[in-house]
Amino acid sequence: MRAEPGEPLRARARVLENRREGPSHLRLRLAVPGFGGFSPGQFAMLSPGPLTPSRDPLLPRPMAIYRCEGEGAPDPVVEILYKVHGRGTAALAAAREGEVLGLVGPLGRGFPLPAEGEGAILVGGGTGIASLLELARRAAARGPVEVLLGARAESELMGLGDFEALDLALHVATEDGSRGRRGRVTALLPDALARAPGAAVYACGPTPMMRVAAERAAAAGRPVRASLENPMACGFGVCLGCAAPLRGGGFALVCRDGPVFDAAAVDWDRMA
Amino acid sequence: MSSPPDLAVDLGGIALRNPVLTASGTFGYGTELAPWIDLRRIGGIVSKSLTLRPRHGNLPRRIAETPAGMLNAIGLENVGVDAFLEEKLPALPDGVPVIASLFGTEIGEYRAVAERLSECDRVAGLEINASCPHVKAGGIEFGQDPGHLARLVREVRRATRLPLLVKLSPNVTDIARMAQVCEGEGADAIALINTLQALDVDVETRRPVLRNVLGGLSGPAIRPVALRMVFQAARAVSIPVCGIGGIETGEDAVKFLLCGATAVQVGTANYLDPAAALRVVEGIAEYCRRAGVASVRELVGGIELPAG
Repeated sequence: MRAEPGEPLRARARVLENRREGPSHLRLRLAVPGFGGFSPGQFAMLSPGPLTPSRDPLLPRPMAIYRCEGEGAPDPVVEILYKVHGRGTAALAAAREGEVLGLVGPLGRGFPLPAEGEGAILVGGGTGIASLLELARRAAARGPVEVLLGARAESELMGLGDFEALDLALHVATEDGSRGRRGRVTALLPDALARAPGAAVYACGPTPMMRVAAERAAAAGRPVRASLENPMACGFGVCLGCAAPLRGGGFALVCRDGPVFDAAAVDWDRMA
Repeated sequence: MSSPPDLAVDLGGIALRNPVLTASGTFGYGTELAPWIDLRRIGGIVSKSLTLRPRHGNLPRRIAETPAGMLNAIGLENVGVDAFLEEKLPALPDGVPVIASLFGTEIGEYRAVAERLSECDRVAGLEINASCPHVKAGGIEFGQDPGHLARLVREVRRATRLPLLVKLSPNVTDIARMAQVCEGEGADAIALINTLQALDVDVETRRPVLRNVLGGLSGPAIRPVALRMVFQAARAVSIPVCGIGGIETGEDAVKFLLCGATAVQVGTANYLDPAAALRVVEGIAEYCRRAGVASVRELVGGIELPAG
């Protein structure tokens, strides 16, 4: 049965390729029968369960959907870019071609696309870059796009070649200066805001990065759509583990109400 | 081809088509998982614990993975009993038994929530969440003190004619005594175990991983502890027992039945697979076919103990 675009599946995802692309990041290509497409910014829960019969690590991992080839075709391919930084992603990195992973998705609410003719500025840091490729591609069909990417070093810039292949303005910052400007990606934002005064601003990356991006954009009177990366156990609104505090009190669930939020609505002081 | 095994059970006056419920706090209000699981094919659902007013819950970080398990300190975030009755319950399909979990910081709140829930025909039964710190008793959980637990069950029992389950805290020395207290105060069934109180620490920051410091441990890591407690509790009372703790497969559930449980609840496994409870139902049926068991009720308490 084919899902409508965005309709969440519970699927067996067969590993086609799981290739190391940098010192710590990999590109995972999965055959996911029935996958009907996704909105940029949506994610999937990938279960290392079948890889770990001992149930350790136990929980599935939320992963941004990087892109999808052949949406709606009999055997679409879902691509995930991820970094090994814990036991779950280490288990994922050990998956070989032909192995089957559990996949639930696409989940969450993605980025609202810029209006027709409106520009976009995308700010991505570290693994947050993986949430932005499809947004960059779709936004570029509507208006001029500037992509600002940052990582510790050039070798950790995930998916750089895929962004370079798109028709957009790409600016890079690395903390060690091995590529682009030395420093953090948020340092590139004020100039980009000045160059593109009407552009919508999007951010995905570590919480401190998104907070700084939101503050810099807010200082220029510009709202930011930020995609949060809180830990979660389920991905579909029942574990309540991913709650993000809101300004003015209360919480929103990153999995169900996000992961994309208006950065001004998030109470960054009370984020973990 | 023999007839399919009979999976129906009676849990303290609640007729279930099969013995698999979803555990409170792991299945929302039931509708969240509807895209992936036909609710009419599982035994029923136990709601998120309901309080008199909505609760926001704890600041993050609220969850953490641990070896073969997880910690949580959600803080009983819930929509409150009124929104549950007016919005959540009507959205569930007919024919799905719904047990409402209830919770309060004082006995009066438990009683008030129980009264509200008892006005609704759609509620099949109540489950007291006794793992709540009793504010007036200095924060000790109701379920950790036999005297507090007895008063709590007695008062809620007076407030409802619905089948009444009590979900027991495992953080006690003598689980059999707690089970007997519930039976003595008129509970129709007991459910166990709730999460085990636990802690994890980040050595880089030297801080507790969870903002709340302490959390509740769940998942396969606690299954043997849960089995032991179900075994002990079931031998101490004659009311039905509902087994909970790290159940992921039909065989896991059968172990609980053999140790004396009449039904089970699937909890953390729902996070790994939104259709986990259905897989457990299918797994029990498969076991029954394989073992030549005509009715799942034959399994209850069927553990074979060594002689002498």
